[in-house]
Amino acid sequence: MSALALTPAPGTQGPGPTPSRIVEALDLALVRRTAGMLPGEHRAPGVGAGTELAQLRVYQPGDDVRQLDPAASARTGLPHVRLHVPERLMTAWIVLDVSPSMAFGTGLRLKSDVAAGSAALLARLAVRRGGRAGLVLCGGQRELLIPPRGGRRASAIIEHAVGEGVVSDGAGDDASLGRALRRLSRLARSPGMVAVVSDFRAEAGWARPLRVLGGRHSLVAIDVSDPLEAGLPNAGVLRLVDPESGRQIEADTRDAAVRERYATHERERRSAVRDELRTAGAEVVELTTGDPWLEQLGRRLR
Amino acid sequence: MSFASPILLLSLATLPVLAAAYAWLRRRPGRYSARFPGVPVLAGAVAVTPLWRRHIPAAVAALALAALAVALARPHATIAVPVERASVVLVTDASRSMLSTDVEPSRMDAARSAAGTFLDGVPDELGVGAVAFSTTPSSVVSPTQDRERVRAHLASLNADGSTATGDALAEALQLLEGQGKQRPPAAIVLLSDGKTTTGRDPVEVAREARTAGVPVHTVSLGTSGGTITDSSGNLLPVPPDPETMADIARASGGESFGVNDGDQLDAVYERLGSQIGTRPEEREITAGFAAGGMALLLAAGALSLRAGGRLP
Repeated sequence: MSALALTPAPGTQGPGPTPSRIVEALDLALVRRTAGMLPGEHRAPGVGAGTELAQLRVYQPGDDVRQLDPAASARTGLPHVRLHVPERLMTAWIVLDVSPSMAFGTGLRLKSDVAAGSAALLARLAVRRGGRAGLVLCGGQRELLIPPRGGRRASAIIEHAVGEGVVSDGAGDDASLGRALRRLSRLARSPGMVAVVSDFRAEAGWARPLRVLGGRHSLVAIDVSDPLEAGLPNAGVLRLVDPESGRQIEADTRDAAVRERYATHERERRSAVRDELRTAGAEVVELTTGDPWLEQLGRRLR
Repeated sequence: MSFASPILLLSLATLPVLAAAYAWLRRRPGRYSARFPGVPVLAGAVAVTPLWRRHIPAAVAALALAALAVALARPHATIAVPVERASVVLVTDASRSMLSTDVEPSRMDAARSAAGTFLDGVPDELGVGAVAFSTTPSSVVSPTQDRERVRAHLASLNADGSTATGDALAEALQLLEGQGKQRPPAAIVLLSDGKTTTGRDPVEVAREARTAGVPVHTVSLGTSGGTITDSSGNLLPVPPDPETMADIARASGGESFGVNDGDQLDAVYERLGSQIGTRPEEREITAGFAAGGMALLLAAGALSLRAGGRLP
């Protein structure tokens, strides 16, 4: 399971404190948003534990005696049991991109810190009302999947997992996000919430699986970016290396035309990403490393 | 080119080492490269400089180092320096046969223009005299640095009469010997287009010239099919006499040339001009290489600063 090798990103400071005031506010906001997903609204096949009556029938050995219905038993003279419509708990899946490009940040903290913080927060909120939270880490050669579980323990496991760090430089895989989403759409059959936390820099094939997921789940896309990614400063000739692929490039940033072209291309890329996310039915939350992420998230979800 | 201390040329061997180091440094992932997730986007935005252009500063720097290494070995070059107070006498045939037009536009005009080229080509310090001859030597200009007098002499040539090569050579020799015992180097350039018809035997005079230390360079002008029309309208063949001319050159220690068109004549005169007017001398040219090396080094630095904002 842990074939995904993660190392703490250089210069990481962690996601920072999460004041409970903001967490509570976010919780309410999420409840309002995912109200449609809460218990009682969705039926699962068969019968199971719940509050809504499905049927009354004669007790058979092996039935739970706690479910004996006194009134029906007294009326008929035979022991009857109450069977209920099974009620599903809300399951939240958090897809966290830990590709090397996330270990970058020139603002308050690294993109990976912001992403890890928001993923952990989502997990904490998800398990609050008896819900379950699962985690998929992607961005490397393989993905790491933590199956959904409920309770504080689950959120602690997820919080620990997201704090592990990122895939080391050059070991990134462009197709990983797409793979993770496809795998998730096979696994997560019943409707729930899927939150994708990434910088969406992967170019290959995440849009289609995301649309598939969007058809069944309530989608939240948290797009994490850094101010420096939007435009290069005039800093002479820079020798830059792509953390994902290890590709090197020399760029003369003294050339205003180069900076202008870069900014234009980047703007176009980001708006294309936003369009893809909206097409998939995702609610897009854009976080930058330039401001406190928790407040951005709160503002956005309120 | 020779070197005063050729062993120091071994310093050139540092160049391949530097080139290898350069290639290695270029190949290696840079120590100072910054991580930047936007590289794929940026790759589409930067102007791609052709590979060879990126290496220009380094190539210029390598050239500079090569020049400096060569300067270290103190190179000497053989360069032509003008001969001090040397003189030369142009002996030009002005016999009637020079009217023949087998050489464009005519033998006479070709000789004039070639002599003009000669005058243009020789160093200013060279004294140039002239003797024209037909039946007798005429129109004598003693060696002078005043080119105009010689030009005027050439312009005044009028082709008529027979060919007295020997007498003309003797006259020219006298001109040169008249300058006294401590005579600077001298030479005679003889241009003729035919057999000696009157006067002394030219080969005999050539031997005298040898004793006097004056080489006679001979130019035999014309083609064997050259003709002129005499006063009664008959066609007379006027073939050149290369054998006698070669004999004269050999006897006096000069060179002989056979020429049958104007361009060739110009070339011969030009060559004679540089041969007589200058002599080869070894000079140290270290300063030139050092200066060139420094200039190239500065150019490499400037180029590199412009391209990369740093020195190579």
